[in-house]
Amino acid sequence: MNEQQFANKVRGALDQATLRVDPVIVERLRAARERALEGRRPERVSALAWADNVLGGIGGLGGLWLRLVLPAIFVVLSVAAIYTWQQKQRLAEIEEIDAELLTDDLPIDAYLDRGFEAWLKKRAAR
Amino acid sequence: MQKKSNPSCPGKRGIPLASRNELSAFLQSVERRAFKQAVYAVRDDDSALDITQDAMLRLTERYGNRPAAELPLLFQRILQNAIRDWFRRQKVRNLWVTLFSALTPAGREDDDQDPLETLQATQGSNAQGAAGDLLERTQIIEIIEQEIRQLPERQRQAFLLRYWDEFDVAETARAMGCSEGSVKTHCSRATHALAIALKGRGITL
Repeated sequence: MNEQQFANKVRGALDQATLRVDPVIVERLRAARERALEGRRPERVSALAWADNVLGGIGGLGGLWLRLVLPAIFVVLSVAAIYTWQQKQRLAEIEEIDAELLTDDLPIDAYLDRGFEAWLKKRAAR
Repeated sequence: MQKKSNPSCPGKRGIPLASRNELSAFLQSVERRAFKQAVYAVRDDDSALDITQDAMLRLTERYGNRPAAELPLLFQRILQNAIRDWFRRQKVRNLWVTLFSALTPAGREDDDQDPLETLQATQGSNAQGAAGDLLERTQIIEIIEQEIRQLPERQRQAFLLRYWDEFDVAETARAMGCSEGSVKTHCSRATHALAIALKGRGITL
């Protein structure tokens, strides 16, 4: 049997396969054809289907919850926690400096004195 | 992908009535075949429907008033492009899905359905039930469809265009955007692969 004869037989089978297309799909094809002939775009069906596909791909709404929402909440909480901790650290540092200043023998006014400031800088530079 | 306004092709309501009827008859004659071709390529009914619908719309919008004789080739080119676009989008989508899936290690493995499983199921039910001619014929058609799906993309495309849509080699080459030599190679490889696969499953045509 040559290529053409073989192909003819396959074509026969494929033609029969088109007759067995699900009636629901046949109906949707008919609707699509009519819409195409009216030259009107379908109402966002494709976009919805795409969104649905993506949802389906990551395991439906349950999957979305598990894989997107929970990690997102986790990230937000972690950032909030780190921010609060940093603020606390800064406050603690300021408190410490204040405490050192207050317990220092030097009177606080010394720090406002220009000469003392210049002397401190000179010392630090050495 | 919106078309730019082109004065030479009146879209939408500009299609003359005679041409509209021709167009309608043409689409009616090819819609199921187009749908099946898309299904063989993308393996999903809903996506195949979207692709077919999109191809029909592009044809009426852009080439609504072309002579009826040009429609088959135009439509096939649009359809093949639509399928290729689908695969491109799918690639991007898969990338995102993979990224999301990486967040939780337990991925779902049931997405990839093995076509052999459904086949075995139908074979089993056939053995139990009345194995009439009709049933056997249905099975053969299903097996042929499955084997067509298994062909490499370009081979399947060439084979279907050439022998199902009955384009000649030059037309097939234009629809596929390749040389006539490649079409011949693809077709002959597809035919051989198909013949061997069918023989392997006990089917002689």
